[in-house]
Amino acid sequence: MSAPADPLAALLEGAPASCCAEIYELPAVRWLLDGQLHPGGRELTLRAAQLAGIGAGSRALDVASGAGTTAMLLAGELGAQVTGVELGAEAVARAGAAAAERGLAGSVRFLAGDAASLPLPEAAVDAIVCECSLCLFADKPAAVREMARVLRPGGSIVVADVTVAPPGLPPALRTAAARVACVADALALEGIERLLRDAGLGLQAAERHDDALAAMARRVDARLRAARMLRVPALEPLRPQLEAAVELSREVRRAIDGGVLGYALVAARRPG
Amino acid sequence: MLLRKRCDEHGEFEALVYGDAGRYLEIQRFDKPGTRPLRLQTDAVEGCPRDCGICPEHRQHSCLGIIEVNTRCNLDCPVCFAESGTGHAGDGFSLTLQQVEGMLDAFVAAEGEPEALQLSGGEPSIHPQILDMLAAARRRGIKLVMLNTNGIRLARDPRFAPALAELGIHVYLQFDGFDDATHLAIRGRRLQEERRRALDRCAEAGVSVSLAAAVERGVNEHELGAIVRFGVEHPAVNGVFFQPVTHSGRHPDFDPLRRLTNVDVIRGLCEQLPEWFREDDFIAVPCCSPTCRSATYALYDGDDLVPLPRLLDVEELLDYVANRAVPDLDVRHALEGLFSASAAGGTEATAARLDCVACAIALPEELRGVAARGFMIVAQDFQDPWTLDIGKLKKCCVSEIVPDGRMIPFCAYNSVGYREQVRAQLAADAEAAR
Repeated sequence: MSAPADPLAALLEGAPASCCAEIYELPAVRWLLDGQLHPGGRELTLRAAQLAGIGAGSRALDVASGAGTTAMLLAGELGAQVTGVELGAEAVARAGAAAAERGLAGSVRFLAGDAASLPLPEAAVDAIVCECSLCLFADKPAAVREMARVLRPGGSIVVADVTVAPPGLPPALRTAAARVACVADALALEGIERLLRDAGLGLQAAERHDDALAAMARRVDARLRAARMLRVPALEPLRPQLEAAVELSREVRRAIDGGVLGYALVAARRPG
Repeated sequence: MLLRKRCDEHGEFEALVYGDAGRYLEIQRFDKPGTRPLRLQTDAVEGCPRDCGICPEHRQHSCLGIIEVNTRCNLDCPVCFAESGTGHAGDGFSLTLQQVEGMLDAFVAAEGEPEALQLSGGEPSIHPQILDMLAAARRRGIKLVMLNTNGIRLARDPRFAPALAELGIHVYLQFDGFDDATHLAIRGRRLQEERRRALDRCAEAGVSVSLAAAVERGVNEHELGAIVRFGVEHPAVNGVFFQPVTHSGRHPDFDPLRRLTNVDVIRGLCEQLPEWFREDDFIAVPCCSPTCRSATYALYDGDDLVPLPRLLDVEELLDYVANRAVPDLDVRHALEGLFSASAAGGTEATAARLDCVACAIALPEELRGVAARGFMIVAQDFQDPWTLDIGKLKKCCVSEIVPDGRMIPFCAYNSVGYREQVRAQLAADAEAAR
């Protein structure tokens, strides 16, 4: 776990988060998240798909598709034709290989691309999911406009994301590390709604799922504390960063308990 | 959750059996089908609970056997389901080594390879042949042999802990809290110093210990967190068993609607140690009725503590009702061993099972040894005459082994009259022998 954790260490020490996707591919991070990269896991992804109207034969787009878990779920369980777009080329290749291994090569494809300029033509898909990643995009209005562009008229988009309510985050959660934890740059629920409206979409539904975020934060916190406690020789050089990560996770849980941090699904429809 | 029953002679009775109706219903899915013992001991004639030993109506083998070797005690606690004490020469008993060997043989015959045995009393440590009895149990291959003791001999006799260490005995130590008021109410004496000395001697000798706390509403329910914290910090201690005080035997007046149940104990602990525990860290143990015993394991290092169910979805793996794909059978088997009445923290069997589970959590190899030191926390609610429920009793997996070799479910033994019968019989035998 020691060698590949170095970018994480750099990040926890305050280096800018140049590529979150890379961080989420690290074995140490995957272990911390227990393979569940966003709150609510499979169940909330299926709920988002339901809100987006994704079913057999739907042309679906997963924006920031990461390891491809959600895209494969939509194709494998719901029978959708799925495109996943992800920034990291390596992640794209790996997700493609994983889909092929599961016999989903015919129904899932992964493309390298930036959310602010999606590699798809206009009105190319029936539905879009964007899970736990809007908060990571540097230019959020551009990303949402792009999604609206590639969505067909009458199609739906579901944004699932961390939300921040007034009075906003404490200073400890406005750091680079917190940005990777999908926290520092999160919007209020109303902010997500405004972005969608400003892109010409009509709001359909907004659901709070704060409990799912709390459960995820508890799991990560437990694993961080277990790692700190067990004093693995290989991890000892990272001990100061581990302390910082435990402290960060405590702040995150406090913010969730205090109602500042939450998680929400917001569905919107392109008119027409 | 209330249990209401009616007797033609004495009328209606009502008692609290679980402090939360929603959770009571929720945990019923952990009711694992029982396993029959190798050998039945009695016929079903009068119907449960009048036919004990293990009769054809019983639905579970015994995870834990208990042998009470004497009635003499070096304490006279105000609360005692065994009605033991210092002044019981006349109507009490003290088993011989030969009797205990016969009872152990009966246990082995019924169970094949028994997992766990506890020698109790009275106060078993003052029996002159206690070490021979413990050795006899170990010789029969019983994996976990426990001595249930108040710790007075451990504190006063410097040779006792090393002797237990040599035999590989796990100590189940009465430990109810720290306040004077707690000690006076439950034990009738201040025992803090002797308990501490007993524990230090165990640590020195390398004897692993579970703290057993009798918990009584309004007496020591505020000390749950302090007991766990103390146990985590003390090198000899590998677990804590909380037992809501049983209203059998010798016990002052009480209100059966105000008794403590497992969920109350767990909530109290979570309120007192919110940085360590949440209610859903505790798993309803599936071998007995799910309301009888709840347990958790935790990784700990003396400063911090992380409950195992936060690292692994234990409930999902132990859910016997949900129609899911069969999980990893090795892991489920290990979890069944951990969440059972035959488990205690700090034992070899527990370490091996935790190692299996650590592997399932994908803990790196070098972490597993430490994970194997899991600290066990249990809430165990025994039944009394007010709460006795035949359905639960038929699945009871804690048995009192009596001198004629019968194994009697613990709560039947204490609530139906078996204890009194056995005691009278043994006293009569002793009288006849004189």
